[in-house]
Amino acid sequence: MAFLDVHDLSVGIGTLQPLDRISFALDKGQILGLVGESGSGKSLTAMGLMGLLPLIGGRVTGGSIRLDGSELTDLAEPAYRALRGRRMALISQNPMTSLDPMVRVGEQVDQVSRMHLGLSGAAARSRSIDLLTQLRIPEAATVHRQYPHQMSGGMKQRVVIAMALAGDPELIIADEPTTALDVTIQAQIIQILVDLVRSRGLALVLITHDMGVVAQACDRVVVLYAGRVAEANVVADIFARPAHPYTRSLIECIPRDGQAPGSLKGIPGIVPSVGNYAAGCRFHPRCALAQAVCQQQVPPLQTQGQGQVACHFSAAPSDG
Amino acid sequence: MADTHVDPSASLVALRSLTRRFTSRASLFGRKRTLTAVSDVTLDIARGTVTGVVGESGCGKSTLARLVLRLLEVSSGSVLFEGKDLASLSGAAMRTLRRRMQMVFQDPYSSIDPRYSVRAALLEPLQVQGLRPPPAEERARVEQLMAMVGLNPSLVDSYPHQLSGGQKQRVGIARALALHPDLVVLDEPTASLDVSIQAQTIALLEQLRQDLGLTYLFISHDLSLVRYFCDRIVVMYLGRVVEILPTAHTPPRHPYTRALMDSSFEPDPQRRRVVTLMQGELPDAFELPAGCAYAARCPGATALCRQERPELSSDGAHALACHHPLM
Amino acid sequence: MTGRIRTSALWRALRTWRGALSLGCLMLVALVAVLAPWVAPYAYDIQNLSATNQAPSQAHWLGTDEFGRDVLSRIIHGARTSLSVAMAAIGVSVLMGMCLGAAAAYFGGALDRAISAVVDLTWSFPEVLIALIFVAILGPGLYSTMIAISIAYLAQFSRLTRAQILAIKGETYVEAATSLGGGHLHIVFRHLLPNALTPVIVAGMLATGDAIILEATLGFFGLGVQPPKPSWGAMMASGTAQIFLAPWTIIGPGAAIALAVLSINQFGDALIEALDIRSRLRET
Repeated sequence: MAFLDVHDLSVGIGTLQPLDRISFALDKGQILGLVGESGSGKSLTAMGLMGLLPLIGGRVTGGSIRLDGSELTDLAEPAYRALRGRRMALISQNPMTSLDPMVRVGEQVDQVSRMHLGLSGAAARSRSIDLLTQLRIPEAATVHRQYPHQMSGGMKQRVVIAMALAGDPELIIADEPTTALDVTIQAQIIQILVDLVRSRGLALVLITHDMGVVAQACDRVVVLYAGRVAEANVVADIFARPAHPYTRSLIECIPRDGQAPGSLKGIPGIVPSVGNYAAGCRFHPRCALAQAVCQQQVPPLQTQGQGQVACHFSAAPSDG
Repeated sequence: MADTHVDPSASLVALRSLTRRFTSRASLFGRKRTLTAVSDVTLDIARGTVTGVVGESGCGKSTLARLVLRLLEVSSGSVLFEGKDLASLSGAAMRTLRRRMQMVFQDPYSSIDPRYSVRAALLEPLQVQGLRPPPAEERARVEQLMAMVGLNPSLVDSYPHQLSGGQKQRVGIARALALHPDLVVLDEPTASLDVSIQAQTIALLEQLRQDLGLTYLFISHDLSLVRYFCDRIVVMYLGRVVEILPTAHTPPRHPYTRALMDSSFEPDPQRRRVVTLMQGELPDAFELPAGCAYAARCPGATALCRQERPELSSDGAHALACHHPLM
Repeated sequence: MTGRIRTSALWRALRTWRGALSLGCLMLVALVAVLAPWVAPYAYDIQNLSATNQAPSQAHWLGTDEFGRDVLSRIIHGARTSLSVAMAAIGVSVLMGMCLGAAAAYFGGALDRAISAVVDLTWSFPEVLIALIFVAILGPGLYSTMIAISIAYLAQFSRLTRAQILAIKGETYVEAATSLGGGHLHIVFRHLLPNALTPVIVAGMLATGDAIILEATLGFFGLGVQPPKPSWGAMMASGTAQIFLAPWTIIGPGAAIALAVLSINQFGDALIEALDIRSRLRET
């Protein structure tokens, strides 16, 4: 049984079904990349895992989330609250808004230790400084007393990571943790996250739109399109032999070193938003391989080698 | 290219020692602080080429783009378009010259007035320049512009909020091309778009360049995109040019360029980068240190680097500002 | 463009009870004011000294005042005065305020500081006080009332316009208009003002309600429109003298003021909700 097991998770907001039967599994010490463009449902998945859907008027409409064997979808809020920060933590996209601008950053990290580990003030403080140092923040004791506005984006995100780690969680969900940051800082943060997973044996769900980040950091990949899983596989296979036309095209959207000019094509059409999804396979309006059956039947998620793919025409895995 | 002896009128655009400062008062009784957003940039842009400007936040690339189009005034130095100094032009002359140099903006969500339909947005440049076609030809002209960027003509009366990000950006591109410019400055034109749409838009820009013989100044933070799209790459750090790569594939010699390259991950798990964790951060742009601005983060920094700022010198077409280049 | 967005908001506002009722009331008041000479049963200045302070009756629906004049007719004619003074004054105020605010915001620098200093000075005084000062300078009467009210509300529109334009000035599409070759006039009239217009218009509408009260206040002190022209405020003033003898002489005009201002405010609120600009209006 995997440490985190998501099976056929569906999420509804009002009358809409933005997530439809998402499944994936993750073990400790592994990094799962959840990839998709806007409207793919990746942030919703993060919120669903953390039990935060009510905040946006959403709810789980089907499926299950099992963390270390126990079911999360039927947990009451107090039980979920006990898990958040302690066994599972969220790192969200924008460090500018994740931190309280009125409270010193050190205090914000201390709070987590005090709340979840029952540490005293002094013990929490030294633990926080320790964490900040591990995250390569120079002069952590000084930084501990600073306010968010005195820090750069990269530093703030490290503080957010420290807050996520302070409760000593086993699962971390990072929702586009580097999108708002400079490229060189992004590389640093990704490397920090990878090191944390390897050294502490954490499970990390890394949500991103960047296939480069996925290739660099992830062990397994789940590709989402319009609220459904298009393909899931180990990272080596998904890049070497992408089975779903969307995955293939998405990889080709990123210019590679030495790629000939004029060869970058993109995917025609528009990324659909909730409520505008096509019938049958949601990707078919943009797919070069689309046939009549694609519009009539939703392709089921089928196992293929080490992965799964939801496409009527992926019977034979093709190269690159 | 960094050589000031190059005849400025030979290039389409020539920048000479371009500097732009911003001042602000930190607090009521604080002293005035100066931010040098762009410092001493000298660059030639040849007709028909694609010049990429790459750097991270605070490097001054967006300010540079605006200086080139005179959307901002220079603090010192000059911008020459076909040998003419922009600062010497009157308001009316500048307005006319703007037909030859246009910009595609980063954020499609705010670059079109929400009250303007596609038709109105595409006619605005013509209207403002006194080139509005007679009503009989107006529709044809608008449709021609839309066709050029692959926009469905049925969208002609749509408003921005009814369009997707990619469609809005196409409107922005069509609007920039309406006056048949020679130079198009692209300020991170795809940064706000989804990946699949980014690639679509880049392909469109490539096609347009070929069809219309345009000259591009392509501003981006995405080095892999710049290496794919551009003929030449200018690397900026905290307002200065630190390296100019003569081709997209020239190996970098400046440690910062090397760091940028190492940070752009390939979509290939077989080619994972080794990321060395650095200690430092970007220094406060108001309080630039003496010496090389990158010294605080550079693994190869020496005492010389911290004391003396390296000048940009060129070795053939490759320009570099570093005391201890990588090769 | 601007019109399109505003008319649809108008419809949305009308679909609420609040919007429809208040607009209905407003239209009624406006219609009555316009058609005053034909709607009013009597002329406003016909005195009948043998029938002073009569209670409401068949002949005089709202009774008569201390000079035997029909209260209802005076209220109807008073509507004309109140509404026209308020609307004219606010109209001028909005126009002047928008010009000042736009100039301050667009050109910035010393001009902005100068305009803002003067505007903020008037802003710090209550409108009543400013109006009183100007009426004191210009003497009482119709035109000085209009001028006084105009100036009293100038600060509000100037600040609102300035705030709106400052917010829009930095938008990318304004920069784009410049890069296309747009000059100052094009940018101000085609991009800045249209986007700033909506909150200012709604604020103007609400200010009209305030202006009616201000006009009534001036009238109450005898500083507004002079007799025999009827003014709701002046009517209330003379009504206070006989509040126990003939309460209808004060209740009538009071109720009229309340009705007019209430319907304006309610409609303004309905519009604000329909346009969803509550946050923008707070920016002064």
